[in-house]
Amino acid sequence: MKTLEVVPLARVEGDGGITVTLDGKKVKSVTLDVHEGPRLIEQLVKGMTPEDDINVVPRICAICTLSHKYAAIRGLEKALAIDPPEKAQLMRDLMMLGENVESNSLHTFLLALPDFLGYPSAIAMLNDYGDDVKRALRLKKFGNYVMEVTSGRIVHGENPGLGGFGKYPSKKQLSDISLRSKELLPDAVRAVELFSSIEYSEYSEVDTTFMSVNAPNEQFGLAGDSILISNGNETSADDYKKLTSERVVPHSFAKRSKFNERPFTVGANARMINMGKRLDGQAADLFKENYSDRWLRNPLLNNLAQTIEIVWALEHMPETTEKIAALDDPARAEATRTTGSGTGAVEAPRGILYHHYEVKEGLIEVADIITPTAQNLDDIEVHLKACAERMLAEGKKDEELLLPLEMIARAYDPCISCATHLVNLKRV
Amino acid sequence: MHKLCDSPCESEESLSAELARLAGHRKVYVLGIGNKDRGDDGAGIAVAEELQKTFPSYSHSEHDGLEGIVLDLSERDEDAFVVFVDAADLREKPGTTRLVEMEEIRATEITTHRVTVALLAALLGRSGKHSAVLCIQPGSIEFQAEMTAPVRTAVDSVVKVMSGLMERSAP
Repeated sequence: MKTLEVVPLARVEGDGGITVTLDGKKVKSVTLDVHEGPRLIEQLVKGMTPEDDINVVPRICAICTLSHKYAAIRGLEKALAIDPPEKAQLMRDLMMLGENVESNSLHTFLLALPDFLGYPSAIAMLNDYGDDVKRALRLKKFGNYVMEVTSGRIVHGENPGLGGFGKYPSKKQLSDISLRSKELLPDAVRAVELFSSIEYSEYSEVDTTFMSVNAPNEQFGLAGDSILISNGNETSADDYKKLTSERVVPHSFAKRSKFNERPFTVGANARMINMGKRLDGQAADLFKENYSDRWLRNPLLNNLAQTIEIVWALEHMPETTEKIAALDDPARAEATRTTGSGTGAVEAPRGILYHHYEVKEGLIEVADIITPTAQNLDDIEVHLKACAERMLAEGKKDEELLLPLEMIARAYDPCISCATHLVNLKRV
Repeated sequence: MHKLCDSPCESEESLSAELARLAGHRKVYVLGIGNKDRGDDGAGIAVAEELQKTFPSYSHSEHDGLEGIVLDLSERDEDAFVVFVDAADLREKPGTTRLVEMEEIRATEITTHRVTVALLAALLGRSGKHSAVLCIQPGSIEFQAEMTAPVRTAVDSVVKVMSGLMERSAP
């Protein structure tokens, strides 16, 4: 018995590792181990007011801070029957576009790309790809700026609230976002060019199911009240428990998810697979040029999907900011009841994020948060195992497995801190 | 790792001398890193915020968007010395400070889902800028903990040393 270990798994958020147990040329097991301690946020917010909750739950993570904020807001607004004004909805769209640009640009250029280009890190890429590192930083800086303008701060902004926003950005700030998003579009297109020129290994390819939100009005988007499944079905986000069927496993602090007893994928590739036909502009052209059936099997293509999504996000900022600027600042919408329940589903950069709440007489009784990484963990293990088995069958040495396995896990852009829930190779 | 001293009080003079040697005649910038929600982990932010009162263009915290600031600095035509200030587990007494050369940071840094200080320093180095990391040993990084007394003393000491250096370099 031999164990191959990748601990810690670098260039992901949080503390985890991958353990592969080998018996001769057979792979006995592959586990994605989550070492990050549980955060118990759901217990912490019991008894809190909804207003306090939305300031606490984003503290789960500094990466998807606005996704957590928005998912909580959506769930609680349903629970309290709050109907937010149009301008607030548009502002939420804009803040999510900012977070998407910030996170996707960091992950693709700086965390994933070095592996594909044969460098140990982004630092090692600097001499040959220095301009691309700068592109990543420019895009990230801009994403941060959009997040700051909309939420009040780069991290853990408290401007978004139930029923609306504390303050709305000035026309100058909105105009600045519009202008800079257009200026940065070539940087995003360059990211697509880089990831579309890569020859992706077939070792990890396995058919799977993809889930994403169904954005309203037949648009590509990052929030919705129903969930699209790549088998053609659609289910209300209120049925999130049936969609995820969470369970506990011994090797992980994170719960695991399955749908119809099978693992599934959430993330940018799932969004593209389910809503890609709705894209417009240059993003639509890039999607058509690059999409193939392999997207349905190969998790490495999530990186390419993320780059196309950056293009989409930048292209949609001018229109969104113009609509925001055209509307007067509204008062916050008020709660119309104090008892109720609701589920908010948004697309964090790494997939669907659910926040479910039950509120009784103004205080939270139940909070349930299911993160995208927790949903992806079973799916990651399936693809890791397929990769390890095929490489060993081809006679690859044990040590040659390590980097490809890491690349698969990283392709999901996992946030282990959020999931709380990465290669040990064991030989028996 | 370059160890300057064993305790903050004893370190002030040697820290000042070492920083002055590294800075030379360059403009000095401070970039504070950390999480103020976690007690002593906010030491770097506390240093940067205090210095920002006097040197608003030369001192920034992580909350101002570190990547963007470094990107701007790297594209600026000036001779600069950038000091990243961060809490770090030096396995020393709380409040102990050390100045770490960038090469040593690069060799040991584990990367997560963020732009690493090593990458930012490498980018600065590529554009001819110098940098170093000033580490402060934390005592407690528990969530919502207060900053401990030794680390508060170290923060005050670092602010004093950096102020002296920045006064000489700022126009």
